[in-house]
Amino acid sequence: MSDWDIAVRGLTKTFGPVTAVSDLSFGAEPGTVTGFLGSNGAGKTTTMRMMLGLITPTSGTATIGGKRYADLRRPSATVGAVLDSSGFHPSHTALDHLRVYARMGRYGPARVARVADLTGVSAFAGRTTRTLSTGMRQRLNLATALLGDPRVLLLDEPSNGLDPEGIAWLRHFLRDLAAEGRTILVSSHVLGEVEQMADHIVVIHDGRLVTAGPIVELCGTAAVLVRSPQADLLKAWLLGDETGGAGRGESPREAGGEARVETTQPGALRIHGLTTAQVAAVAASRGIPLHEITLERPTLERAFLHLTGRAR
Amino acid sequence: MTALISAEWLRLTTTRLWLWGSLAALGSGGLVGLLAIVGPENFTPPLPGLDTAQGTLVLIGLLGLTTFAPALLGTAAVASEYRHRTITTTALFAPRRWTWLAAKLVAYAGGGLVYGLLTAATAAAALFAAAAIKGVTLGLPATTVLALLGRIALTMAVYTLLGVAVGALLRNQVTALVVVGGYFYMIETALLLIPGIQALYPYLPGGATAALTGSTYLAEAVADQTGTAAAQLLPAPVGGAVLLGYALIAGAVAVAAPLRRDIA
Repeated sequence: MSDWDIAVRGLTKTFGPVTAVSDLSFGAEPGTVTGFLGSNGAGKTTTMRMMLGLITPTSGTATIGGKRYADLRRPSATVGAVLDSSGFHPSHTALDHLRVYARMGRYGPARVARVADLTGVSAFAGRTTRTLSTGMRQRLNLATALLGDPRVLLLDEPSNGLDPEGIAWLRHFLRDLAAEGRTILVSSHVLGEVEQMADHIVVIHDGRLVTAGPIVELCGTAAVLVRSPQADLLKAWLLGDETGGAGRGESPREAGGEARVETTQPGALRIHGLTTAQVAAVAASRGIPLHEITLERPTLERAFLHLTGRAR
Repeated sequence: MTALISAEWLRLTTTRLWLWGSLAALGSGGLVGLLAIVGPENFTPPLPGLDTAQGTLVLIGLLGLTTFAPALLGTAAVASEYRHRTITTTALFAPRRWTWLAAKLVAYAGGGLVYGLLTAATAAAALFAAAAIKGVTLGLPATTVLALLGRIALTMAVYTLLGVAVGALLRNQVTALVVVGGYFYMIETALLLIPGIQALYPYLPGGATAALTGSTYLAEAVADQTGTAAAQLLPAPVGGAVLLGYALIAGAVAVAAPLRRDIA
């Protein structure tokens, strides 16, 4: 284990009769962006606050480099966190806010200027926080988290309130930070966004781990969607069914495909393990009319809904 | 720890609180000057004039009644960390929460002392100016006046600590302000009317304050009304220690209980 590994082991938190997080275990490694996914109320925020010592777990541990957050020698220089989107004193300017926390962590004025530049806070450093837009507040939060140049970043819904340009900026920014070897855990319920920046994902639902792993494995491969008035016949041919009279033309099996075909509704098929070209070739060779043939790219949303048992 | 104290000082001086604090300090000091110009002999009922020891003491005693103001400022400052949710970031930068509260107590003790000195200096200038304008000499020697005002300044520093501790304890800004303000305005005065409690008065915050500021005005007024003998106040340093004790107890309870609670 490196000093920058995040390890969550058997983490549980109950609030009275409600179990917010239940026996949750996962990890995150340096050099990667790990997406922490779950619907609203799944327990993401509670988990992240437990990792940072803000909430005391009922049981289990959350460590960074093997140590609890509060036991780190210089916590803000090891872990940067973005939690509340609006934890500012309204009469402070953005710069005041940064200076107060820079002093708490013993970081100099040069570092304040540096993080303000990195995050774009410089553009509104003199404005009081009560006048800042949500996007500006998120940038200020990120600047505060980066004051100690931490090797680990925990970000709870950091893209909330950002405009599309801001989201793209954040995505590149976090990718760059990960490329520098930092460990980044970013929670979100906006799956498309995580899909574009995460290497690994951790999915929780109702406070429990659903799955964790590299994003490519969890999303699966592309499928081919077909509509045809003779869908059942096409299905039989694609599966190389004996009664279908395989042997004429190139059968999918000979092409090396391990085809899986499901009938999603009458006249519609979803085919895994074959390319659009292979499906089209089979249909053409058998004279089966196709009304539609589309490549369905794997999406995190689809995988997520499937994993959390809410697939349609 | 010095970094945390310095950060708290910066936090205090960059919010508007210092502005309101300065205005309150100048205002309460100035009010004493205004009353001095009107003259205690013109109050209703008339009191001994500015050129008598009693008249001067009355005015200084009135200033002593404003010592709760910096307590409110201290309370507001700490409770605002919860209200504006800066407490999350603060707890991230100082995960051992007692260090954060201790730094606040030290920084605000300094702030309270500045407030007290500003108030005392304004009041001193106002008293001497009023006497000069009216062409009389204050009924007390200048050194006595300055010493009494200095004790009020010190009391204000201790009260700020008390306010900070109560703010950390109650966390809700409005509740904390109501509790602190309500106690000094009503509850303690009401307690004084209960004969048994009256004996404890020297050890209550108000009694300890009276000992520290050298003002027995309230205790004597109550004694007059109830026809009982006024409780004997503690010596000033002991009164100060009692007040400091209240602040430390409130701080310790704040560290022991609410600061351990989850910050959700």
